[in-house]
Amino acid sequence: MSLWLCLRFGQLPLQCLNRSEEQAVVVLARQRVVCANDHAAALGIRAGMGTATVHALANNEPLQLLERDESAEQRCLQQLCCWAYGITPSLFSWHQDCLQLEIGGCLNLFQGLDGLLTRVRSGISSRGYSVEYGLAPTPKAAWLLSFAPADTALDITRPLAERLAPLPLGLLDTFPTAVDSLRRAGLHTLGDILALPTAALGRRCGREFTCFLQQLLGQQEDRQADYQPPKTFRDEYWFGYEVKANAELLPAMQLLLQSLCTFLRSTQLQTTEICWQLIGIDRTVREVSVRSASSHSDWKNWHQLTSICFEQLQLAGGVEGLALNCGNLRPGQPENTDLFNPGRQREPLAHLLDRLRSRLGLQAIEKVGCRDEHLPEFAVHVSSDRPGGEPPCGPPCAQRPFWLMPQPRVLRQTRQHLYWNGALTLLHGPERIEDNWWQEAVSRDYYIAGDPNGQHYWVFRDRLSRKWYIHGVFA
Amino acid sequence: MNEVLEQIINRNDTWRGRHRRFHHHEPSANSERHSPHGGGAGLATGYGSLDAQLDQGGWPLDSTIELLSDSNGLGAMGLFLPAMERLSEQGRWQAFIAPPYIPYAPLLAARGIDTGQVLLVHPKNRQDLLWSTEQALRSSTCSAVFSWLGTHNYSYSELRKLQLAATNGDSLAVLFRPTVAADNHAPASLRLQMREYRRVHILKQRGGNQHIDVDLPQAEDVPGQPQLWELPTCPPPAAALGSAG
Repeated sequence: MSLWLCLRFGQLPLQCLNRSEEQAVVVLARQRVVCANDHAAALGIRAGMGTATVHALANNEPLQLLERDESAEQRCLQQLCCWAYGITPSLFSWHQDCLQLEIGGCLNLFQGLDGLLTRVRSGISSRGYSVEYGLAPTPKAAWLLSFAPADTALDITRPLAERLAPLPLGLLDTFPTAVDSLRRAGLHTLGDILALPTAALGRRCGREFTCFLQQLLGQQEDRQADYQPPKTFRDEYWFGYEVKANAELLPAMQLLLQSLCTFLRSTQLQTTEICWQLIGIDRTVREVSVRSASSHSDWKNWHQLTSICFEQLQLAGGVEGLALNCGNLRPGQPENTDLFNPGRQREPLAHLLDRLRSRLGLQAIEKVGCRDEHLPEFAVHVSSDRPGGEPPCGPPCAQRPFWLMPQPRVLRQTRQHLYWNGALTLLHGPERIEDNWWQEAVSRDYYIAGDPNGQHYWVFRDRLSRKWYIHGVFA
Repeated sequence: MNEVLEQIINRNDTWRGRHRRFHHHEPSANSERHSPHGGGAGLATGYGSLDAQLDQGGWPLDSTIELLSDSNGLGAMGLFLPAMERLSEQGRWQAFIAPPYIPYAPLLAARGIDTGQVLLVHPKNRQDLLWSTEQALRSSTCSAVFSWLGTHNYSYSELRKLQLAATNGDSLAVLFRPTVAADNHAPASLRLQMREYRRVHILKQRGGNQHIDVDLPQAEDVPGQPQLWELPTCPPPAAALGSAG
């Protein structure tokens, strides 16, 4: 059975603009009061009053008049949707000031209705909104019940029709003519009209009205498009003053990353790149990208990587705002931590790579691999991303040094000796390596040579150019 | 006064002598092996003669090891190959920070080391070198960290920072430094010097034998695997160099 929780933010026009309780604040639309805070209500200011009445009631008390900003309300509602998406996946916004959450499917997750309501209450109070709750099997009924006293609104054990009965018809403000004609017939509450036969009511008030009533009672299906979380993430933080030291950016950075990761966790998305925008006093925008080798949604890791980048940043001028953009989001992939040795390895392997790369640059970190090649310099594969699949390398048949020089270097030679940190003596060899005849023929005789200190080197004589080279060090 | 002493004793980088050093008869041979840091925590070096001389019965994993050698180290890497092979099972990184050249991957693979774990890090300057070494030591993702600190001068506090990072980690931490560094103090609990192949000089060992040479006998080499310092006995033909001229 589906169960809907309606969250009605009656004070949204006010609370999205101003949360001050120190003086009377009134939100106006077309010179009429839409919303007033407690302070103003205590002065007797009510919704619907004109500006002149408000001024008269205020009577020299400090009073703040604000123009209603519907786009700010919608932004707040979107943020609340984003938050509520962490509670249930099926939800939608309703009537400009409500959220409808389908919670029948996630009661077990929160260990019952009480657990869920506690979670919702703490989430909303931390955001500083006041809210009315309504709980019913259909979204429309939940919305209507949010106007009822709290004990009726949340008591789902009683029959729905009985709980709806005392509510005034005036709440159905989408059907003004129907409500008007019913009032004139002496019907004032929902209970009055629910007792009437549907067909008769339909003839008098129209099909839409009866359709509404049927959806209200769950006799007809009521489908609404579910809220879809946005595909990209953007959040901003405004300092309200000029920031000049890099360290002062860190608290704002942490807040933004936490909000990003809450978003990522509830949408089950991950990212490999985040983009910071430092917004200067003169509105110049400076972008800093932070990359990671593996996509993840762990804010502490992003915090570490960003700190490394910000430490090296030279702030040209003052910074007033910090924005976090995240355009390229991908479905989550599980992270690899050693399951059986959790004590030894506390983070995924890629995290160290990320930290090193973000300070030293992508090219500074390399991996090695083997290739099935005869020439020593081709048998080692060094690259800054992952080397190709490793072919099975048989054990080298002969002596091989630990260190290989990336390029063989020419040895200085006289008539009697070869020189590399002193005169070299050949100790062992030769081992002939010939290869690459189809391209540029290579024919070498490899020897092990020792210097006066006893260090062994891997040297060869190029049989074609008749020169001596050093290629490796035995260490 | 006692409080001050206690604070010093509680620091994890304060070494405390143990009674057994002075009373040979007291402890059993078994407890001798075990370090105060918990259960003979050393990682077997692969060379029995060296294990016998090391306090923890192998490489200490809770401290840095300094290896002093000039030029490219006479067999210095060969000393750690058996340990690298064992650490390879853990599947964590084996970081080479500022390595002099490229490690020859087929040789590592032939010794049973997973070359996919080898990470070559090339810092551009001294600060980055210290920073990346510390990062690798602090991170729990490295089973071995080899860092070539080069000929720069390092202050005691810089080295101590690395030592502290190694104390918290669980990895084989080896710092390669030139022989002249032997004259200066260093916080590493084990300092080794290699002047020739198959001979390790223990320059300093916290709580253990010092100033001794340890020979690594050929008998302990793993048969059938390439060795780094063992030269085949047959000399090259005398004419080899002659053909150079």
